[in-house]
Amino acid sequence: MTRGRRGGLHAYLFIGPSLFGVVAFLLLPMVIVFVLSLFDWELLSAPEFAGLDNYRRLAADGGTWHSLLVTVGYVLLSIPLQTVLALALAVLLDRRVKGLRFYRSLFVVPWMATPIVLGLVWQWIFDPRDGAINRALALVGVTGPDWLSDPSWALPAVALVSVWQYTGYNMLFFLAGLQGIPRELHDAAAVDGAGPRQRFWRVTLPLLNPTMFFVTVTNLIGAFQVFDTVYAMTDGGPSHSTEVLNFRIFQTAFKEFDFGYAATLSTLLFAVIFAVTLAQVRFFGKRTTYDLS
Amino acid sequence: MAKRVLLYAVLTIGAFVSVFPYLLVVLTAFKTQAQLSSTAPWLPGLPPTAGNLATMLAGDFPRYVLNTAVMTALLTAGQLVFTTFAAYAFARLRFRGRDVLFWLYVATMMVPSAVTMIPLFLIMRELGLVNTWYGLLAPYILGTPYGIFLMRQFFKSLPAGLEEAARIDGAGQLTILLRVLLPLCRPALGTLAIITVISSWNSFLWPLIITSGDDTRVITVAIATLKSGIGVDYHLMMAGSLIALVPMVAVFVFFQRHIVRSVVLTGLK
Repeated sequence: MTRGRRGGLHAYLFIGPSLFGVVAFLLLPMVIVFVLSLFDWELLSAPEFAGLDNYRRLAADGGTWHSLLVTVGYVLLSIPLQTVLALALAVLLDRRVKGLRFYRSLFVVPWMATPIVLGLVWQWIFDPRDGAINRALALVGVTGPDWLSDPSWALPAVALVSVWQYTGYNMLFFLAGLQGIPRELHDAAAVDGAGPRQRFWRVTLPLLNPTMFFVTVTNLIGAFQVFDTVYAMTDGGPSHSTEVLNFRIFQTAFKEFDFGYAATLSTLLFAVIFAVTLAQVRFFGKRTTYDLS
Repeated sequence: MAKRVLLYAVLTIGAFVSVFPYLLVVLTAFKTQAQLSSTAPWLPGLPPTAGNLATMLAGDFPRYVLNTAVMTALLTAGQLVFTTFAAYAFARLRFRGRDVLFWLYVATMMVPSAVTMIPLFLIMRELGLVNTWYGLLAPYILGTPYGIFLMRQFFKSLPAGLEEAARIDGAGQLTILLRVLLPLCRPALGTLAIITVISSWNSFLWPLIITSGDDTRVITVAIATLKSGIGVDYHLMMAGSLIALVPMVAVFVFFQRHIVRSVVLTGLK
């Protein structure tokens, strides 16, 4: 009895600091962001209750909806490509490859790059005149586009940096997932006459569902919040073509000091991420029914 | 055979694309301004010059590197200590409200950092901690839910009898944690340390928002400022980038097995 109670006290002492952190720096801010979205506050004067004014303003704010569209565009340009490429690389490495560790390491090198630094490097690679891409294209007689100063190329170029940075890291997860699939299942399917292609679609892919879930959920949550590469490469331009939502929130708060409205934009971003994550939980929840433990 | 060749060709191209931007940083960091325009970006400038690095190191840059190193060290130390305590309690102790609290932690892993950025800034402003070390470190030094999740998984994988034996010998909770369990946790702690080092060193948005003076400026913010300062002087910018990237590359080369392990540890459950 006494031991149990003392055990409980000990446990709370152990958890205390991190619990304080979670409450003060994660939960409290979530509450504040919702409350603040109902206020008009530009820091210098006192906050003023505005009811749903900010949300009415949001509904009519074409620039923000454009930003949301840009964010969705960024997600669609980066996530499918970096997921499929990662899976393909993992499948290639999941056989007897000489130098597996060597290739695996090199593929993961982009992941630990400082995004703001590599963003600047990529900005230079995409430079219309001196950049590596257009100079390489010039060697074969092709005139490359203006990339980051061309509104139709800027967003794909920024998304490509995400593909470059995260494909290898995602590959690690798929590789771990593939190596966790029992060999016998492939053999059994082969005995039943399934070709390599059928085995991939009917055996490998369904069994990779938990990995696929983890990779897509974490990647999407990250991609919806992209900031550093946009800040480094385009500053949201040209003509707002790369102005993702998180960048707009930053501008609204720290350039225009419109904190109430920036909080409203934050709730929009939260709602979008929440909805997308929930949709994925539903989607994968229905499909992940295999239990091999 | 042809298939084999194709396989290695694809892997090699992938590997080349992965390291190419790094290669550019190294090559460009050692070029003079003249070589920058006269040589192709992917070729070295001959003879190489150390002038760019010298220029960068002569200014305030070393101070920003030091700031970043201090920030990274403190955040990593905090993460290791507080995360270990909390994860140990969640994994190995019974107490009232444990499961509810743990699910609360897991739920907060879903809270996007972009959403909490503004309220965090306002909290720090109310406390008068804008542009201070406290403000820079406070939100992240008490450990992250992700780290606790990772360590809890690891603690749970240790055999249950370990504590019993120590308890019979009269050891208290703290002794059990520090003397019995912790030595077994070194691989997991290594993994957590690497992840924290990399994410702290690379962090940008929070330092950008919360700091403004030289005393607390970190390298990511300094490099972003370079962009507006020196414009298209890529040889200087790449020298700065090289200084920022070398520590992370070193960490990666020495500890990459920990990174692979973090993937396995996350458990995909």
